[in-house]
Amino acid sequence: MSASFLGACNPAVKLAVLTLCSAGVLFLTDPAVLAALCAALLLAVVLAGRVPPRDLARAMVPFLAFGVGTLLVNALARPGTLLWPDLPVRVTAEGVRIGAMLALRTLVIGTTAVVFAATTPPQRLLTSLVEHARVPPRVAFALLAGHRMLQTLPEQWTTIRRAHAVRAPLRRDGRARFGPREYARCAFALLVTSIRAGERVAFALESRGLADGPRTIWRPTSLGVRDVALVGVVLGALGVAIGLS
Amino acid sequence: MRDLVLLVVLGVVFGFLYWVLVQAWTALSIAMGPAGDLAQHVLFGGWLLVAPLAVAILRRPGVGILAELLAAVIEVVFLGSPVGPLLLIAGFLQGLGSELPFALGRYRSFGWVRFAVSGLLGASLVFFWSAFRFGWYGQDLLLLRFGIQALSGVLLGGLVAKVIVDALLRTGVLASFPIAAASRSAASAGSTAPGGGAGDPDLVRRER
Amino acid sequence: MTPTWYGVSAEPAIEARDLEIVLPGGDGVGPLTASLAPGEAVLLLGPSGSGKSTLLRTLAGAIPQTVGARVAGEARVCGLDPVVAGVVVTAAHVGVVAQDPTSGVCLPDVLDEVALPLENRAVPRADIGPRVAAALAGVELGAYAGRGTQGLSGGELQRLALAAATVARPDVLLLDEPTAMLDAPGVAAVRAAVGRVAGRATVLLVEHRLAEYAGEDGLAALPPRTIALDRGGRVLGDGPTAQVLARHGAALLAQGCWLPVEVELDVLGLDVATLARRTLDALRATDAEPAPPCPTASLAPCADASPAAVLTARGLGVDVGGRALLRDVDLDLRAGEVVALLGANGAGKSTLLAVLAGLVPPAAGRVAGPRAGLVFQHPEHQFAAHTVTAEIGFGLPAARREAVVRARLRELDLEPWADRSPWTLSGGQQRRLSLAAMRAHDRPVLLADEPTFGLDRDGAHRALRALREAADGERRAVAFTSHDLRQVAAWADRVVLIADGGVLAETTPAALLQRPDLLAAVGMRATPWLGHLARHGDAVVRHALRSLDAAVPAPLPEAAR
Repeated sequence: MSASFLGACNPAVKLAVLTLCSAGVLFLTDPAVLAALCAALLLAVVLAGRVPPRDLARAMVPFLAFGVGTLLVNALARPGTLLWPDLPVRVTAEGVRIGAMLALRTLVIGTTAVVFAATTPPQRLLTSLVEHARVPPRVAFALLAGHRMLQTLPEQWTTIRRAHAVRAPLRRDGRARFGPREYARCAFALLVTSIRAGERVAFALESRGLADGPRTIWRPTSLGVRDVALVGVVLGALGVAIGLS
Repeated sequence: MRDLVLLVVLGVVFGFLYWVLVQAWTALSIAMGPAGDLAQHVLFGGWLLVAPLAVAILRRPGVGILAELLAAVIEVVFLGSPVGPLLLIAGFLQGLGSELPFALGRYRSFGWVRFAVSGLLGASLVFFWSAFRFGWYGQDLLLLRFGIQALSGVLLGGLVAKVIVDALLRTGVLASFPIAAASRSAASAGSTAPGGGAGDPDLVRRER
Repeated sequence: MTPTWYGVSAEPAIEARDLEIVLPGGDGVGPLTASLAPGEAVLLLGPSGSGKSTLLRTLAGAIPQTVGARVAGEARVCGLDPVVAGVVVTAAHVGVVAQDPTSGVCLPDVLDEVALPLENRAVPRADIGPRVAAALAGVELGAYAGRGTQGLSGGELQRLALAAATVARPDVLLLDEPTAMLDAPGVAAVRAAVGRVAGRATVLLVEHRLAEYAGEDGLAALPPRTIALDRGGRVLGDGPTAQVLARHGAALLAQGCWLPVEVELDVLGLDVATLARRTLDALRATDAEPAPPCPTASLAPCADASPAAVLTARGLGVDVGGRALLRDVDLDLRAGEVVALLGANGAGKSTLLAVLAGLVPPAAGRVAGPRAGLVFQHPEHQFAAHTVTAEIGFGLPAARREAVVRARLRELDLEPWADRSPWTLSGGQQRRLSLAAMRAHDRPVLLADEPTFGLDRDGAHRALRALREAADGERRAVAFTSHDLRQVAAWADRVVLIADGGVLAETTPAALLQRPDLLAAVGMRATPWLGHLARHGDAVVRHALRSLDAAVPAPLPEAAR
């Protein structure tokens, strides 16, 4: 993970670049430019982020689905010049253009989000945010504790679902009924136990002296030439794209 | 610290539950084809829940916005949200909308109507931002989208929040949060004179 | 007591003067007047509900700042008033380990977890690495550096929490039932680690299950001084541990504490040999139960004339997280019989129960039988209603509901809480409630996962008596998992040992107690006194243990207090 160029970049810088990208893309309207940007980005991700193409493809599925949906809805739901007057449904040129633009924007932002997640461990990100972005340590560590809690939730959810399935009334085919009511009960049980656990976690963090005062950062994140290069390249690419668009 | 962790816990739990829901939902929305794009509005209110819950439990200015911001961070950093960091802007707007009605009531009034308005505002404010982001302006569906999202906001993001808060209060897990103190003082307001200074009758030792 | 300006002081590490804490709802602890010298180790002993955790949290600065309460009198921790200072400031002198392993470790990464207290104290960067490594080595987690905290066992998590609590070399170490949720090997590992890492710190240990904490070493494993509280939070006694236990043992036992069995026998004026002889005499005199029908050390199932199985499992395979845990499990549960499932942590017992209950499809083989009831380890995972009454009546037909609910409320001593929310009950009450709710359904098979985990003596016996009654009175087939040999020996008819990916052996409790090899395979060891009793066969073991439980005056039901 950290062997790659992007993996070695400073997480806070990466987050800033990511935000910049997501915002900058909003100024791009030409589907062709967006498509080119998207292709360049995917290539960069595989080379500089060393994200295995198969993992990348799997992570992109939801964005693709969302993109296709956006394209279809816009093509069908926008007034304008009819592309194929013979079809029973209305497909407009404006709709297709705007739809393609929005779908490609989604893909660009999605790709950056995927590569960010794949090359940035949350612990490092929060350390770097405390270090370089003045995020209060209490907030950062509360979030990290939240991350740990999140890791335990799937297992808890399974247990709670089983615990409720024992008690659920049977359907006609002899299996336990598990509808919205049962799900709501499980969700509530999860919420209550998590709030209790949260109080204990807060006490544990404070009893280890966590406060917003002066502190040491044991394993600081690096900030260097690499990060300047990253910002330069991304800004340049974005500038060219906006210029072309 | 306890309040901060509570906000994170709310964000984590609802983020997780939403993820569970979306697992089932994604298949459905893909099956629905183009209508799947509309489906996002039906569940939209679910995103709002955290803010009214946080405000009702902690009763302090800003916690609604903070809760939505933290929830957005959790979405982006831990769950890898497709929306990316721009979700923070959406989160801020949602939090602002949801918190506004409670702020106008100076964090003292928590009735059904206020929760409903909270859901409505939370859903509407962010709608204009999403409409810009996703190019909904100019679509025939704009009003339909808004209608579904606002309704979802009122139901899921407003009234359901009230149901959850009331149920949580009954369980006693909120005993050390401001909401419990408020409900205790409301309960004893009839029996004790205000400012009597005799101490909280709740804190008199019971012999066993 | 006078702090000296040049920084050297002979003041006590912990000092309390008429310290009394009252929580919302009226539960209170104290008034306590005591002084702990630097480096002293003290046991704070009291039944559940005596407020010992409250006292500990007050000393850590959490009360009344984060939890509303009324605090009277004076407290000092290393010259600091924790009531005024709060948790963060008090943390400069204090390390804390709480009960629950999962929420006692906060961060996703092992190294970060231990480094956090040092970072918070602004320890120079270069010193942190070596100190973290040393702290991990001290709790025998040296090999865990660089790992995530996910997937660690309860015992490992508690040792990690201990490393984090001691890495900053606190003057005071507060331990709040650190082993309450662990199995025997976990308890032993944590106890040993406490001995190693406490160093010069003053240790205050809160515990009510002394028998488990002390393990085989009995009294010798406990801190030399004990402060004992009664059920209402008043101080019973303060002095050398042996002396306090001798003087107040009867009261503590009666109020639900688990004491080392040597203390328990002492209180009754008995020794093991006498206990065995008396039980034998009693059995012969009443002829209540025939002598064991087969040689005790044999592993063959004893009763041949047993009724037909209600639930049968054949060739069962159990997977957890895609990993094959158990294979070729054959198991019969018979009406009127109580079976104990024993196995080390992670052996797959809980999932096996879920498979038997039809909640998880088996990876191989099949389960035949009616729908089983299953009581989960954490009662709150199972709650479905907003009041105790509705919880017990959940899913019952309206016609029978009221009568059944009333009967179960009475059986498990829950009447005073009928209208309360299940979530507001104490741990013991919650467990009784989940048992009651499951018993309300006439399911022929009743399964329970660790039904006595974390309960006090009285709660554990109530829970096990209810299971026994389900088997004896209502002829149900009952099975439960457990880590507690004494309870298994007292209440189970048959034990099934789960180890090495399958059923290792099926035998009776007395036979098992004489097989150290089998016990070791499931992470247990028989204490000498249980081994001694076991030589006389199952009937003697069972009667002796139950009479031992009964000989201690049972506490009044909670309702009558």
